[in-house]
Amino acid sequence: MKGHDAWVALAVSLLALLLTVFLTTGALVLGGYSPLLTFQSLLAGSFGSLDSFFGVTLVRAVPLIVIGLAVTVAFKSGVWNIGAEGQFYAGAIAGVWVGLNVGDYPSYFSVPLVFLSASVAGALWALLPALMRTRLGVGEVVTTILMNFVAIHLVSYIVRWPLQEERGVFPNTDLIDESVRLPTIVPGTGLHLGFVVAVILVIGLSFFFSNTSMGFQLRAMGGSQEATRVSGRSSIPQLLIVTFLLSGSLAGLAGGIEIAGRSFALYEGLSPGWGYTAIAVALLADLNFIAVLFTGIFFGALEGGAGAMQREAGIPATWVAGIEALVLLSVLASDRLFRRLLRPRRKED
Amino acid sequence: MSRVSERGTILGNAVSKIKRVISVVLLFTMACSDARNEDPLSESEFSGFRVALLTSGPVSDAGWYGSAYEGIQLIEKTFGARISHQQTSTPAEFDEALRAYAVSGYRLIFAHGFEYQDAAIRVGEQFPEVTIIVSSGGRVSENVIPLIFELEEGSYIAGVVASRITKTGIVGMVGGVSTPPAEATFTGFEAGAKSVNPDVEVLVNWIGSWDDVAMAKEAAVTLIRRGVDVLIHNTDAASFGVFQAVREARDSGEEVWAMGMNRDQNDVVPEVILGSAVIRIPEAFLRLAKLWKEGKLPSGEAYYAGGQSGAADYVVNPSLAGKYKPELMAEIDSIRLGIIDGLIAVPRIDFLERVEGSF
Repeated sequence: MKGHDAWVALAVSLLALLLTVFLTTGALVLGGYSPLLTFQSLLAGSFGSLDSFFGVTLVRAVPLIVIGLAVTVAFKSGVWNIGAEGQFYAGAIAGVWVGLNVGDYPSYFSVPLVFLSASVAGALWALLPALMRTRLGVGEVVTTILMNFVAIHLVSYIVRWPLQEERGVFPNTDLIDESVRLPTIVPGTGLHLGFVVAVILVIGLSFFFSNTSMGFQLRAMGGSQEATRVSGRSSIPQLLIVTFLLSGSLAGLAGGIEIAGRSFALYEGLSPGWGYTAIAVALLADLNFIAVLFTGIFFGALEGGAGAMQREAGIPATWVAGIEALVLLSVLASDRLFRRLLRPRRKED
Repeated sequence: MSRVSERGTILGNAVSKIKRVISVVLLFTMACSDARNEDPLSESEFSGFRVALLTSGPVSDAGWYGSAYEGIQLIEKTFGARISHQQTSTPAEFDEALRAYAVSGYRLIFAHGFEYQDAAIRVGEQFPEVTIIVSSGGRVSENVIPLIFELEEGSYIAGVVASRITKTGIVGMVGGVSTPPAEATFTGFEAGAKSVNPDVEVLVNWIGSWDDVAMAKEAAVTLIRRGVDVLIHNTDAASFGVFQAVREARDSGEEVWAMGMNRDQNDVVPEVILGSAVIRIPEAFLRLAKLWKEGKLPSGEAYYAGGQSGAADYVVNPSLAGKYKPELMAEIDSIRLGIIDGLIAVPRIDFLERVEGSF
């Protein structure tokens, strides 16, 4: 590999970055906004202070990382689980239901129980598409997406009838007891224990996939289902079910963490489409577990900075969404260019 | 295998490059925050009158959120306040946004919707010097004040008008998210409709969303097929779907009318909207800000904005005024006065809860 190529790649990335800044600046100037103030608030809102880094960026990153892991597990094993959104909600429903009922128990018992129930619920939510895939051969892309809508509407029902707050006025559940809420790990910010859970999951999954036989089989299935089947060593339906359940339980756990760590109650619209953003998180990370940690934080920073852009620079929400998209597109484009140029030309193989 | 080792070096290169990028970003950020400290404006960072607005939908909805934005613009113009707005998209974001405003010196925050109430109570507890006004909220604490719009007053009059105009004897309502304040408006509408003709039938269709235009249109079409010929709504941006359905029904020869809600929507589709049940959110915001500035805003209780203060009313669409018989116009005026004087009892729903101590 020539060092020359790496420099070209870096130059291309910088060029892409400059181009985005240039385009965004142009748009902002035309719109009558201050580009300097905009970028400044984007950075200050996501990295500028302890509170904005720990309390905004990392807190926002937690669900994205955990759901990103769920998506990575599935995609790595060749399962196109687009249903993380629904599995997240299933986990949130189970988590809040258990959370509301275990307030009298000590935290070391109640919090793990919330996590466990959320994971199980997420896994169960993924079970139906799993069975349809393995038994009936129905593609999971459609079934998992459809299950999302079922989950979203189930939440609307749950918060209006079975689990509505006791006084029965607003469409949300009561708040879970203090003892069931996750402790803060950086005092004075909202950063909760969920981030530690996310990091542990990243390490655990990375180990599981590269160092265990099951992990190897899953990766092999992701590489080529046909080859894995022909090898005769693993049962494809079994591996598929494992993948669905593992992926679903991770997305469900994210729901439990969100309830116990940040929202403390179930609301409609709890997730602004994290199940879909997480697909971008996983793909930007090139389906690498460790990288998911960083792409998750990147997306958390982008969204946190977007909020600050509205507050500090007075950029309307629609503009902010556009700027976010521009930044993301440029990162994706330069990432791909970077990779392509860095890829050594192999002739000897 | 050579491939593996190649991958290793690529990764190593990438990591060192990422490190470099991160350090550049950090430097840039630090430079930015330095620049911030030198900014002459930041002298007054924590002084002056600062007012913030949080909405969970777009302020371009020509309705609920848009009027709130007009409200803080009015406060800016009247008091020279520095204003800021953020659109939040998820409950988990509410705490973050409220806290960010409290930390940067905003002492009066309008959280425009009941959905903010839990976060408002939590943040309000941490920042006792900040007053948070929660529109249509249901929880009161020392510094978290629900702003209750008595929209049911205008809806009651709209009900009377609908009942007088309908030919099929069936009137309908398309609702957004079924919450007590939203239900109250429909209860008012129904009471108004039945007050002049007990036989009139009132159909309701809740769509479960404030901004889903397609769903609102579908709901409206369903109601029109069931014979509804005067249709009111209580949604935000989704109202365009209701108006669209009514306009299409009219284009195919049916005589159907729509009514606006929340703010004066008469000019949105002037040829089909008979009138609007309005709350004057900007005026209510301005009045609240004035009271707050003078230190006269009672803490620990809800603020009611109704017909008495001119904040709630029914507005006839001037371009369709010909559809109203003179008797009906007179009736509207007398009902309006009757409500203000307390002679006409508009049904209300009380849903306030005091929060004391830890939440």
